[in-house]
Amino acid sequence: MHARDLVTDFPTVTVDTPAVEAARLLAERDLPGLIVVDRDGLPLCVLPGTQVLRLAVPRYCQDDPALARVVDESHADLFVRALGGRTVRECLPQQPRELPITDPDATVLEIAALMARTRSPLLAVVEGPRLLGAVTLQTLLHSVLEV
Amino acid sequence: MTAIAAVVIFVVVYVLIATERIHRTAAALAGAGLMMLIHAVDGRSAFFSEHSGVDWNVIFLLLGMMIIVGVLKQTGVFEYLAIWAAKRARGRPFRLMAMLVVITAVASALLDNVTTVLLVAPVTFLVCERLSLRVGPFLIAEVMASNIGGTATLVGDPPNIIIASRAGLTFNDFLVHLAPFVVLLLVVFVGLCRWLFRASFVYDAERAAGIMKLNEREAIRDHRLLWQSLSVLAVVIIAFLLHPVLHYEPAIVALLGAGLLVAATRVTVEEAIRDVEWATLVFFMGLFIMVGALVETGVIGQVSEAAASATQGRLGVTTMGMLWGSAGLSAIVDNIPYVATMSPIVADLVHASGPRGGVLWWALALGADLGGNATAVGASANVVALGIAARNNARISFWEFTKYGLVVTAVTVGLAMPYLWLRYLAG
Repeated sequence: MHARDLVTDFPTVTVDTPAVEAARLLAERDLPGLIVVDRDGLPLCVLPGTQVLRLAVPRYCQDDPALARVVDESHADLFVRALGGRTVRECLPQQPRELPITDPDATVLEIAALMARTRSPLLAVVEGPRLLGAVTLQTLLHSVLEV
Repeated sequence: MTAIAAVVIFVVVYVLIATERIHRTAAALAGAGLMMLIHAVDGRSAFFSEHSGVDWNVIFLLLGMMIIVGVLKQTGVFEYLAIWAAKRARGRPFRLMAMLVVITAVASALLDNVTTVLLVAPVTFLVCERLSLRVGPFLIAEVMASNIGGTATLVGDPPNIIIASRAGLTFNDFLVHLAPFVVLLLVVFVGLCRWLFRASFVYDAERAAGIMKLNEREAIRDHRLLWQSLSVLAVVIIAFLLHPVLHYEPAIVALLGAGLLVAATRVTVEEAIRDVEWATLVFFMGLFIMVGALVETGVIGQVSEAAASATQGRLGVTTMGMLWGSAGLSAIVDNIPYVATMSPIVADLVHASGPRGGVLWWALALGADLGGNATAVGASANVVALGIAARNNARISFWEFTKYGLVVTAVTVGLAMPYLWLRYLAG
């Protein structure tokens, strides 16, 4: 089994997509992450949902987890407002790292190894200059457990 | 010839450290390596000499305190105190700043300044966000309070640790000679904050009510760890104070305290040493070897002789020169390498100045510690605070910090002049 057998259509966003819209896409379509594409439609980055979440969580709560506990419930419910006015660009990792992108001929073991290495629940599948779609962790596990 | 080469290496490394062209640890290690390569210093003196080698008292005291602080910060006690203070201040901005300044200064007298700032900064963001206040002035005030508070004790600021070790001063010496003056400085500093940051104190009753909803008790998850950590810290401080009776060196006390903390709590050794700043400890080692090379090649001796003859019989002028010179240089370069370099020179000057010469150690400590407030790069805590502010989208510019820093340094170092004069030189 190869990536071409597992790939499915997957929604994409650009670096200029509002972060709120990206979060809504994740929630409404129950996605593990998003593929960020450039002007030509080629993947720039695969963004796990937690990266979008990171933008909403106040930095001080990330630096000091104890502070997330002291905030009262009514105010804690509003944390996602911090996404307002921000874009996907701000969610991107600052340091360049290996992208979870593969070609259609990759085997399931290659896909699994790349997912594990890049800690991404999602792989973009690219053939030449064209994005074919994505393989999700869920799809991968379904396929290998049924064999 | 070796002496000239040693001076050239020293100056080049110092410039690299000051300009941060390469990491300061790499610079100090490279400098130490080159000193050994040219035989300015050998392994025996670098590792075993009390006068020109690595000062293991300093290294192990820092290591012990870093481990204790690493465990202590897991308890949430600082977050608890800061939120408690905000609630006690009822959201009034100046009262809040004054309380945070006092908490930071007291904590900084017992912990190192960078750790204190790292602990207090996140909770400051939370409180200021809830009150819709600009966080910059609060962070600046806290950093300066940390540098002032750290001046009070032997363990409060790394330059004090170096001075204590080189001068043979005890924890109590610092408490007697510096702590009372630092309390006065703190009172003056709180007053200065009222004036310096007056534009930032905007009170909003509705937002202030929001502060009262924060639950500081939630910050402490493990009460047992909290009490164990505070108990060990108390034992360590008591052991520092009882040095005249117990005769345990501060480094031994800190290491025993760190060991007791790990043994008594559920914290593993791996967790306890995770927060140790190994790079800083190695930086100190490299620095000591470089300064030791200057001692071994006679450079320090010559500088000391020249300084002693130039200042002979003029202890008052020498003290004030030491105070302001140290403040000026510490404003520009890291005060740790400065004090490490100056300590052997000051030791010679103290020796040459007779029974009242000890004032020079206090002038060095006050100048180096308080001078760190002058600019945004004057102390490690300043650099760390500006970094945290930038990461939280609340950038503090070099000049924003420095315009306040110059005022605070001028006032605090200015007050140190009559203090040193009246207490040590007059009469």
